[in-house]
Amino acid sequence: MNKAKLIFNHTLMISTAILFGLGVRTAVLFFATGSYMINWEWYIPLSIIAVGFLCSLASLLLYDDPATSRANMRVRICLHFLLVLAVVSISGCFFGWYSDLAGYLLILIMYILIYAFVWISTVWMLRTDEKKINEAINEIRDEE
Amino acid sequence: MKVTVNKADSYENESAVINAVTVTDDIRNAVDILRGSGASIPVVSEGDTLMLRASSIYYIESVDKRTYVYTKDACYETKHRLYELEEILGVNFLRCSKAMIVNIRKIRSVRAELNARLSAELLNGERLIISRGYVKDLKKKLGVV
Repeated sequence: MNKAKLIFNHTLMISTAILFGLGVRTAVLFFATGSYMINWEWYIPLSIIAVGFLCSLASLLLYDDPATSRANMRVRICLHFLLVLAVVSISGCFFGWYSDLAGYLLILIMYILIYAFVWISTVWMLRTDEKKINEAINEIRDEE
Repeated sequence: MKVTVNKADSYENESAVINAVTVTDDIRNAVDILRGSGASIPVVSEGDTLMLRASSIYYIESVDKRTYVYTKDACYETKHRLYELEEILGVNFLRCSKAMIVNIRKIRSVRAELNARLSAELLNGERLIISRGYVKDLKKKLGVV
């Protein structure tokens, strides 16, 4: 997968994740208060895609091939987490996704949950593939 | 040896069974040919050129425009380029990075890395990386969907 395709795919995935997060947030507020209406400015949908694009650029940090060691990868994941958090926080402030500390904390919790969910899903898919590949290799492997 | 050839209804159902008292060199050669690993490539060892069987190759690496062929415990140089070797060696060999081809039959196991690459351990204990872009090709060759 080349870098342009990677950025495009990640932009779509992250934009969807943000929409999902906002959906959960509005649902929580609706059930907490009994009535909740969304009144979006014209630029909010575009801002979601813009943030998705900015966050996808941070993905290049993870998929850059020279990283070989597991320790290196862990450092990159931490940096990625902080970088994306910075993008979400600054963009959220700029686009008015939150107006006070409580709003920001809600965004922060949503971000951590989505980030954890994405990584758990990714690791699960990688392990599933790994198992299938190893089973197939066992079938054709030469004798030692 | 009595040889019988039956017509199969599809390529997926093609198979060969050899019943032998002992596995001789001739039988090993026949198995290599049937498995598609009967090809040989010329390599240079201490100034002499010799033909190396594909089935003995573990991996091939290109370094500074030179191509090196690795077996279980030896390294040879060949004049062929990687793209040429890919064509010669056939289905058991996989391009695993821009500068490397690996014999899939010599992989003991793979381990998935978080950045979607695979770390492959070979039968001789060496480890190499299968780049993210080539993992799909490996899965296709192995029939893993």
